[in-house]
Amino acid sequence: MSYLVSTSPHLSTPKTTKNIMRDVFIALIPTTIASMFIFGFYPILICLLSTTSAVLAEFLFNKMRKQDVTIGDWSAAVTGLLLGLNLPPVVPFYVPIVGSFFAIWVVKCLFGGLGKNFANPAITARIFLVLSWGTLMTTYVEPIDLSKGFMEMFKYFPVSMTAESIQTVAGATPIANLGFKAGQTITSVDNLSLFLGTTAGSAGEVSALALLIGAVYLFVRKVIKPTIPVIYILTVGLLTMAIKGDASYFLPSILSGGLMIGAIFMATDYTTSPNTKLGQIIYALMLGILTTMFRLYSTLPEGVSFAILLMNICTPLIDKWTIPHPFGYKRPVKEKNKKEKEVA
Amino acid sequence: MLKTFRNGVHPIGRKDTADMPLQEFTTPDTVSISLQQHIGAPCDPVVDIGDMVKAGTLIGSAHGFVSANIYSSVSGRVKAFEQRETALGNKTTHIVIENDHKYEEETLEKLENPTKEQILARITEAGIVGMGGATFPTHVKFMPKAPVDTLIINGAECEPFITCDYRLLLEKTDEFIEGVRLIKKVLGVEKAYIGIENNKKPAIDLLKSKNLQDIEVVPLKVKYPQGAEKQLIYAITKRKVPAGGLPMDVGCVVSNVHTAFSTYEAVILGKPLYMRAMTVSGNAIEKKGNYWMRNGVTVEYIYENTKGNSENEIRKIISGGPMMGFALDSMQIATAKGSSSILFLTEKEINIASPTACINCATCASVCPMHLMPMFIERATQHGEYDVALKYGVMNCIECGSCAYSCPAKRPLVQTIKLAKKEIKKRGIK
Repeated sequence: MSYLVSTSPHLSTPKTTKNIMRDVFIALIPTTIASMFIFGFYPILICLLSTTSAVLAEFLFNKMRKQDVTIGDWSAAVTGLLLGLNLPPVVPFYVPIVGSFFAIWVVKCLFGGLGKNFANPAITARIFLVLSWGTLMTTYVEPIDLSKGFMEMFKYFPVSMTAESIQTVAGATPIANLGFKAGQTITSVDNLSLFLGTTAGSAGEVSALALLIGAVYLFVRKVIKPTIPVIYILTVGLLTMAIKGDASYFLPSILSGGLMIGAIFMATDYTTSPNTKLGQIIYALMLGILTTMFRLYSTLPEGVSFAILLMNICTPLIDKWTIPHPFGYKRPVKEKNKKEKEVA
Repeated sequence: MLKTFRNGVHPIGRKDTADMPLQEFTTPDTVSISLQQHIGAPCDPVVDIGDMVKAGTLIGSAHGFVSANIYSSVSGRVKAFEQRETALGNKTTHIVIENDHKYEEETLEKLENPTKEQILARITEAGIVGMGGATFPTHVKFMPKAPVDTLIINGAECEPFITCDYRLLLEKTDEFIEGVRLIKKVLGVEKAYIGIENNKKPAIDLLKSKNLQDIEVVPLKVKYPQGAEKQLIYAITKRKVPAGGLPMDVGCVVSNVHTAFSTYEAVILGKPLYMRAMTVSGNAIEKKGNYWMRNGVTVEYIYENTKGNSENEIRKIISGGPMMGFALDSMQIATAKGSSSILFLTEKEINIASPTACINCATCASVCPMHLMPMFIERATQHGEYDVALKYGVMNCIECGSCAYSCPAKRPLVQTIKLAKKEIKKRGIK
């Protein structure tokens, strides 16, 4: 009879990569459902497309590179769904497919796959799509009106294929009209509709409530710690308030745009956020500052994606600077000080 | 607030045997006693084939200062000298003794009211080592090169499954306290603390009810590795052992519950160390329990006598606890002074998941009681950048296994760290 021999420890937590990724996927479901009630069935179709193409992309890459198939760890599915939720509710079918393949092949797999990518695949793919199809990616439709009956759920189906047809049904993006830009002042704003998500915007970013439900689930399941999202969101809120000198900016600034989904689901990506506790605080603060700056002073209406991408790139450096000292570490006495002490 | 340290993990307790009193374990017809049951030089044999010995007859004499005498655990005839494998995987000389089942005993002189020097000489003579599993010769530890003012008795028993120290505290309370006082005398310290994890309430209450003036019972938070030396010292005294340093650098000596008990036996009863309390557990056996086990009993014999009607297949045999113990590859390995437990585990009880890619979740860093970044050390080691691993503080690792235990990707972090340490020492990287 032979017995298993290995290095200690011989026990292990039941927590696995698969569990974690599945939890993130589950945490995105309230947001997905919310987008269905806000924009109808069309965004659900887009999410389905982006998720399946992300999983397919990873499967194909695994096969091409003759690797073990890694789609079972749910991480490709998370990337796909996250990308789908980051798109405007009405986009042509090819947008999520191209985006998912870009996210998985270029951003994730070419850099070594899970855990090795330097930037968040979903956010980078979104930026890629914004740069590729500027009009499509910044054209947002108004929420549907369910009081008009069930057929409203199919409202956006006939208009989905071309940029021109989408623009005919486009609504105003709240974040562009809130008066964040320098020189502008805040317009009358309905914080409750921003919180519930009954405004125009990306499919998954509009409902702060649904995103917060997902966040609470992730906290309870100990998948993420509140450090990054809380610091990030508060920094944006307080900084916008301080620069504008008006407290009524606080709520709109944290409830509108992609801040919630970015702070909860993208900035907390394990691979692309710092590993040290101090590093995470610096990272979240910098994210808040950059996002506010982009919102207030750039030509773009929104700055969350760019802020996260920029800070992803800084992550290795932040980690390097913030490595904690081991328990019992004593700062070595510098040669110069030593001599001075001896003289004294 | 219970005292504790920063970080750590909460593995399942599995103290299945907590309520089982210590009982004599049967002894086989032959015992194989290793001549190296401690950290340090192996002993020189002082008996020959054919010699008659008693339980307590010196058979291996300490070779040098860092070494500890070995005694026969049964009475009978020396049958052979054999090279056999130990729990650590290396081969040492074992003295095989035919047991005549008479259990005639040979004791050292009983000491009444011994002086400091007499106690220390007796600890040396009786071959006492750290019984928690580290097996460092106790007399060396009790001659610290720096002044010490505090004795800490480690009763944390933070490893899952193991309950032998807990049973000793409950059943041999007075002997244990006497042992602690002897150690205090050797070290010349005023104050002793006993750190016990709060899941051993009966032991805490029993010790507290004795109203000891010179020994303080400190309940500790139930968290692994609460019994790690540096973490225990920090929890009780808030002193931080400097990186690369020893407890004596902060005026502390840490000793184990069983070591204190064995000290009592050696000094007061004149009984050298050849028997110890041991937990035998795991779901592959039926008769789990805490036993008085003589040195040199093979794992096979223990299994045969505890298996009962169990049909469960053994997947892993562990000497020591599941977090830091050693997996055995054969049942022919014999028990020694440091064997605090033998676990016969089934497939369901162990981790057999294969590692997947690191996802940089930093869980390992958040649980490390030494505040290291295991994933960075792993990456550097895999790249062969041992100097980088050194810079990340790999030499401070206490190999408690918290990182690998909590890793969702099931990375073999402890294994990598052990490799890095070995390579750094071999290459002399500074």
